[in-house]
Amino acid sequence: MSAAPTTPNTPRPLVFMRFRPAWAYIDGIREFGRFFCETTFGTPALAQRACVVIQEALENAVKYSNNSPDSELELLIQSEGDQIEFSVSSLPDAAHIERLRTELAQQRTLDPEQAYVAAFLRASNEPSESARLGLARIRYEGGVELSLHEQEGGRVRVTATGKL
Amino acid sequence: MTDISAIEVPRVEGLGIEFILPATIKLSGMITRNGSNQDLAGFFRTVHSDAISRGLREVFVDVSRVTFVNSSAIRLFIDWASWIKSDQSPPYILRFVTSRRFTWQQTAFTALTALMKDVLVVERVD
Repeated sequence: MSAAPTTPNTPRPLVFMRFRPAWAYIDGIREFGRFFCETTFGTPALAQRACVVIQEALENAVKYSNNSPDSELELLIQSEGDQIEFSVSSLPDAAHIERLRTELAQQRTLDPEQAYVAAFLRASNEPSESARLGLARIRYEGGVELSLHEQEGGRVRVTATGKL
Repeated sequence: MTDISAIEVPRVEGLGIEFILPATIKLSGMITRNGSNQDLAGFFRTVHSDAISRGLREVFVDVSRVTFVNSSAIRLFIDWASWIKSDQSPPYILRFVTSRRFTWQQTAFTALTALMKDVLVVERVD
């Protein structure tokens, strides 16, 4: 963990982590997120939601990160008022950025529950394709809305925002 | 017909798996390692084939003590229900035993039931 970059208009993150995109880290970071949310906000339900958001967002980020030395991931957790925000920044291959744009645009056309059921239907109809349930699951089970911010140099930040 | 005693229960890190005759699988722990899901998928497929060959009417999958899974693990349950549904006459019913304590179980099995209600039943232990 290290000091997080902040600007005058954004609250200081409660958690900022920067690490190599490795599968082996995900379990530990998810369980830290569970502990942190339960301890800080005192709500087991939020802790379960945090686990879903962190697990699925990090899996996507690790799976599609490119091999460059700059491909480290960043996880931020911050809170303001009655809102909580989780965001994961990564440096994916260009094809994934396009898929991410398309998937998030499709997500916005349906409410979270409809989108989750639609993702199940797609998975059952396409057994040889990858599951692609993660983003729909983050929205529905995580109780958050998703946004995508594309940054200079090909870095993207997926942000999940919801009520505490 | 499969020799039921020969069905190999895989070792999956973080997950307890019990296979109880005639047709109950009890899972406990977490499923979060994608590398293990291949083994679990093979196991489910073997149990599925065995259930058909033995003419079972139901297979129970108790997930009530599975505290967390990733979406690739949810995919395994979707696939299993799809194998049954792909038969013109579903050979057996998949009966999931779940708990209200874990959000993933409520959301995943509600969505699965919405799509596959003719081949699965969801029970709750609490």
